[in-house]
Amino acid sequence: MKVSQLLEQRRQNWRELEQLCDGPRRSRSTAHAVSRFAALYRAACADLALADAYQLPPDTVQYLHRLVGRAHNRLYQTKPFHVSVWGQALLVDAPRRIFQDRCVQLAFCVFWGAFLLSFFLAQSQAAFPAYAEEMLSQEVIEQLESNFSESLRGRDPSLNYAMAGFYIQHNTGIGFKCFASGLLVVPGLFICLYNAAFLGAAFGYMARPDVPEGVNFFHFVTAHGPFELTAIVLATGAGLRLGWSWIQTGGLTRLASLRRAADESVPLIGAMMVLFFLAALIEGFLSPSGAPYSLKAAVAIFSSGALMFYFIVLGFPRSANRAVG
Amino acid sequence: MSDMSAPLDSRVEIVTPENIAFHYRVAGPFRRFPAYFIDLLVRWAFLLVLLIAVSAAGVVLGGAAIAVFLVAYFVVEWFYGGLFETFMNGQTPGKWVLGIRVLSSDGQPINGVQAVLRNVLRFVDMMPMVSLQIFGGPPLYVLPTFVFALLTMTLSRRFQRIGDLVCGTIVVIEERYWLTGVARLEDARARQLAEYIPLEFRVSRSLARALAAYVDRRRFFSPERRREVARHLAQPLLERFGFPPDTSYDLVLCALYYRTFVAERFGEGTREDDLGRNPFRAADQPQPAAVVLPASNSLADRPGP
Repeated sequence: MKVSQLLEQRRQNWRELEQLCDGPRRSRSTAHAVSRFAALYRAACADLALADAYQLPPDTVQYLHRLVGRAHNRLYQTKPFHVSVWGQALLVDAPRRIFQDRCVQLAFCVFWGAFLLSFFLAQSQAAFPAYAEEMLSQEVIEQLESNFSESLRGRDPSLNYAMAGFYIQHNTGIGFKCFASGLLVVPGLFICLYNAAFLGAAFGYMARPDVPEGVNFFHFVTAHGPFELTAIVLATGAGLRLGWSWIQTGGLTRLASLRRAADESVPLIGAMMVLFFLAALIEGFLSPSGAPYSLKAAVAIFSSGALMFYFIVLGFPRSANRAVG
Repeated sequence: MSDMSAPLDSRVEIVTPENIAFHYRVAGPFRRFPAYFIDLLVRWAFLLVLLIAVSAAGVVLGGAAIAVFLVAYFVVEWFYGGLFETFMNGQTPGKWVLGIRVLSSDGQPINGVQAVLRNVLRFVDMMPMVSLQIFGGPPLYVLPTFVFALLTMTLSRRFQRIGDLVCGTIVVIEERYWLTGVARLEDARARQLAEYIPLEFRVSRSLARALAAYVDRRRFFSPERRREVARHLAQPLLERFGFPPDTSYDLVLCALYYRTFVAERFGEGTREDDLGRNPFRAADQPQPAAVVLPASNSLADRPGP
């Protein structure tokens, strides 16, 4: 057979395959179309494999590469999310990984170390009089004071919704940025340290005995504090896990190590998002309300207890036998 | 096809479970940035429409409408690409317009986790951020420079940005290509000349490729240029075939092309012939008769139009 005859013969099949590629998605097409597509795809694959033996012109070979590529992507489609494994990832994988993860531990120490140090520096007015002003800047201090000048009596409930939405958008976004920049280690650590120092200075300044707004401030932050601060530590830790993985590869290539760390960090990011959402709901609805301080403290204690349970009880390493049994 | 061209090319070879190898071209930054820009416009347009709708609904719903807008803003900001790539089989609207698609490095489709993670990590690719303050603008706004993305794309072999490297994904060009088939030879002399090419001359695969590449493109060349390009291949062929030396080089290649792709049975000279030939009877095969060519001046180059 001549090449030109062969091309004429195949042209119909290839055209049909092209049309099927442009047609409706696999899930919406008929059984006949699906089986026809599979047959045409296999035939085109065979033609491509034999293109060299048939001595097809290079243009045709190029065309076949494109055609098979498009049909391949039509046949093999993206796997959507496995929602069924999310529960397992959040309740089993994430706490165990967090419990053992050196990077989360490091992020925890860095964050709380910087936070407490900054708190102490800002609070001890006698020893370090200028620290709080330098750390926070005068404008931020004035804004903080004006925000918390009145005692919390609750506000327009519709504003609560808006603020909860804002906290979800803003704080979770910061968490993602923290995570992503952890890949480069230095920016990740910097953002963590900066947040810790800033928050510590704000807390420390408000804890000074001569700042009258401090009462309202702690009234506001107590309830949502545990979830929010833990979430930011988790975000930093997951980012550092990524960043550290390409520095210490554990015998893998840097890319393979990075890929493994990315897989491992996904449950951590899920846990981080859940914590930010919970914190945003508390911060939007309970924290600004006029509820008594004892209730807010109870929420803080309860949420700290829940976190302890999550990290330690659920996260405590099980031996392989017990995990199977 | 040849391994020597691989390192210089933006081509990836995918081997499917059916054990078929085919090629994709990898999309570079100049195709991916417009796609990102279109996505950015789509995002802003969606948020603008939502903002108008929310402002209208806000009269009734109050703060809840703002909350809906802010949560939608959060989702669009961080999950736009991930969700589209998951549910549009590796494409976002911008990628669809530009004809590119995200795949795993091994050519398989990506999964939802890869899609989301590579889009979240775009934040690193955008770094370092530059404040507009440098140009005398307001201090708050920051411009992404995408320098890290460009750097890693330059350093990696498949134009992968940081998010791609971490998730093991590539972005390939998926465009249609027109089937041209065999080139038509308008010159009848090529067909005549093809019959004078010795029958025992076998066209190797690389020669067939070279012929096809030449004949597919010769219509873009001027006659002088054709002569210049065809000379390297045609001169030794002329001597081999015993054609007059003033035969048009272009015509010889066209004739050989005609014989290889249009007139000849394919497989002749490659497979069946090699297998079916009896080596002991080789001597019995008839010798080709002495060639009587048409008047040689009719085969020379025609004066250019």
